[in-house]
Amino acid sequence: MKLITAIIKPFKLDDVKTALNAAGITGMTVSEASGFGRQRGHTEVYRGAEYTVDLVPKVRLEVLVDSADVENVIDAIVKAASTGSIGDGKVWATTVDHIVRVRTGERGVDAI
Amino acid sequence: MGTRERRERSDKIDGELITLFHDALSHVGIAESEAALAAVGGYGRGELSPGSDLDLLLLHVGIDEGRLKEFVNAFLYPLWSTNRKVDYSLRTKNETLAAAQDDIKVILGLLDLRPITGNTELAVDVGAAALELWRKDYKKNLPKLSASLDERHARSGELAYLLEPDLKEARGGLRDINILRALARLDILDVALDRVAAAESILMNVRDALHESSGRDRDHLLFTEQDKVAELLGYTDADILMMDVAKSARAVDYTSARTWDRIERLSRRSFFKRARPIGIAKGLVEFDGEIAIDEGFEIEKDPGLGLRAAAIAAQHGLHLTVDACTEMAARLSDLATPWPRQSREDLVTLIGAGEQMIETFEALDQEGLIARWIPEWEHVRFLPQRNVLHRHTVDRHMLETAFRAAALTRKVHRPDLLLIAALFHDIGKGFIDKDHSDYGEVLIRPLAARMGFESEDVETLAMMVKHHLLLSSVATRRDLDDPQTVAYVRSLIPDAGTLELLHALSIADGEATGKTAWSSWKAGLVNDLVQRTLAAMHGFEPAQEPELTPEQMALAQSGELTVKIEPRDENFLIEIISPDRMGLLSIVAAVLSISRLDVRSARTRTVGESAVMTWLVALDAYATAPTEDSLRTLLSRALDREIDISKKIEERIANFRKYPGIPTPPPVVSAFNDLATRATIVEVRMHDKPGVLYNVSRTISKFGVDIRAAIVATLGAEAFDTLYVTDINGDALSEEKAKILANQVENYLQTL
Repeated sequence: MKLITAIIKPFKLDDVKTALNAAGITGMTVSEASGFGRQRGHTEVYRGAEYTVDLVPKVRLEVLVDSADVENVIDAIVKAASTGSIGDGKVWATTVDHIVRVRTGERGVDAI
Repeated sequence: MGTRERRERSDKIDGELITLFHDALSHVGIAESEAALAAVGGYGRGELSPGSDLDLLLLHVGIDEGRLKEFVNAFLYPLWSTNRKVDYSLRTKNETLAAAQDDIKVILGLLDLRPITGNTELAVDVGAAALELWRKDYKKNLPKLSASLDERHARSGELAYLLEPDLKEARGGLRDINILRALARLDILDVALDRVAAAESILMNVRDALHESSGRDRDHLLFTEQDKVAELLGYTDADILMMDVAKSARAVDYTSARTWDRIERLSRRSFFKRARPIGIAKGLVEFDGEIAIDEGFEIEKDPGLGLRAAAIAAQHGLHLTVDACTEMAARLSDLATPWPRQSREDLVTLIGAGEQMIETFEALDQEGLIARWIPEWEHVRFLPQRNVLHRHTVDRHMLETAFRAAALTRKVHRPDLLLIAALFHDIGKGFIDKDHSDYGEVLIRPLAARMGFESEDVETLAMMVKHHLLLSSVATRRDLDDPQTVAYVRSLIPDAGTLELLHALSIADGEATGKTAWSSWKAGLVNDLVQRTLAAMHGFEPAQEPELTPEQMALAQSGELTVKIEPRDENFLIEIISPDRMGLLSIVAAVLSISRLDVRSARTRTVGESAVMTWLVALDAYATAPTEDSLRTLLSRALDREIDISKKIEERIANFRKYPGIPTPPPVVSAFNDLATRATIVEVRMHDKPGVLYNVSRTISKFGVDIRAAIVATLGAEAFDTLYVTDINGDALSEEKAKILANQVENYLQTL
């Protein structure tokens, strides 16, 4: 079992959700995030007043999947989140040892 | 479900208890004269909800412990076996009164004491002693009670605005009514219990239905129970039930807040210092920390009184008296259509008062005055919204938005439009099959026109209501790096002024909705979108220097001092042409101010050796209408320094300071050079108060620069002044000097 985490541009969330649904993923956790990678923050100048956007707003998306589905799901996210420009984000997967569905107590793959 | 059922339930239980009590007495061998059974709390008032506890007081005359224990077991076991929840205390009279002295809850319960059976005299005696104690110790008890009330309200929230409220504990709930009843019994002030009677019966009925539908004694009206409760009580749907609950809660909260406020003022009032009414505006007096209507004032003849009273009360942070509100509701005539300018400004002034506004607005709303002035309001009153993001009913959400918008007035060029749009941005909610933003636009147009806004402003307001969600949705859903995104916003929003207003509205709306709807994350995205769009726009157009008519030019050339006065609605238009000199604007502003003429707007411009000024002024409460002669004489004496104008105006400002005020955002002054007019433009935004223009223009003149033109606007309680200044050669200041000037003016204004 894997936990796939994706950091994407906020406006790409709808596209990624649609792509994940098409890939058979129905549950996910979405949170507001901010940070920077190679994109760095940028400085804008407006009417002489400079303002800095040092942390860039992003969306963080987390999905639990069966190990066999990892490649498919990552592909779907990358394809939907890509604009080709800097700051598109990152996707990574980590191994998950235990999953329990709180309501039923199901464990492992059944709880995904 | 109703009072009758609650009484029947109570009577039935009384009957059962009487039997049990006497059985227990004879079982243990206690005489009837030795013990009494009494009900306290809600049961004491003879009303019992299906799941309520039985609050019982078992009084005795000092029976020994062994027999007492046996008696209590004999009395209570049969009760417990019926699954009835019993809350009892077993005490002698002295023990009861000692407990009442220590614990405020005990004494509150005893105020509702009702003898059921046994030694009735003993029970009546304890009840009377408790009441006496309550009246004697109120100075000690009330602060404690008030603190526990605040603590409970903070914990349980407000009944009227919560989606899943607690009927008993929340602010405006049943416990608040009980406390009002207890306060009434102190006999130190009138408590308007009649104003909450209907509310109490509705809330009690809802609670009964809730107990019945849930089969439990919980008072939390959860979402899952609302449909069932609505059905039990015969409401067509849960929304209507919740509106009724909200309406009742507000009636309770209003009465409760006013009662506590009066208690606080009673305790503050010194024995020697009797309050005396002080005139504060036309027809209005400040009396004992409240705004009341002047005795004998002809309310019928002054339709503007209502909004004026509200504006004055909110700006001074004072309440309107209940009498003033009810009197106005009964006697006030309708406002003309379109509204007079003053009434529109009073509304803006009211909304701009921040937190204090909510209370004043609610007081007027309680009396139905808001819906009379703004019939569109009726539809959103108490309107619940089934939306996880929202905490409040639609009307309260709009008030909360306006309250937050008041803090953002320095960030925009038109604070009045921001405040009005904030108060009505969701006015289109609650119409089936209609998008609330689109329908809001339809509703706001005629509403704004009725308020007397000019057609250009009506369009801006309509655009703000229609697009109040635009920035949030575009910022989170579209690529800000894509030039199409900025182009899209620009295609809908025509100019920087409207964009700036929309930005402030988005912030106020978001903050009022709650943390889930508005985070710094989202604020950052919206800000980014706004800055990118502004950069692509032409920037802000400063207020233009006024054009002069040929007549004015001719008079200006004569070099004489002339004064012309023309009545304009309730105000006066004053044209002053005077030989120009350093500091002229501050002198004229001072003369108008000490003549008790309140400047609403002004346009001044220097031509050659003269200055042409047109002023729109309102009379303050005690001013007489100005005459051309008197004003000209005063002006020329001031210009010749025959009178010490600065001393007089300081006196007036000091006099104004005696009145209480409210916190307002600090003044903001900006200066930038305008190539086209070869002048430095200084923009001053601040809260209006007497002497503002005098102080602004005096500070600028002291800096050694000329004021070539001034455009002064008062928007509600906000002043927005634009001044064109030049150095002595008639050129714009250097950028550095302009910055220093702006800083100096801003620093000085902050000290006022």
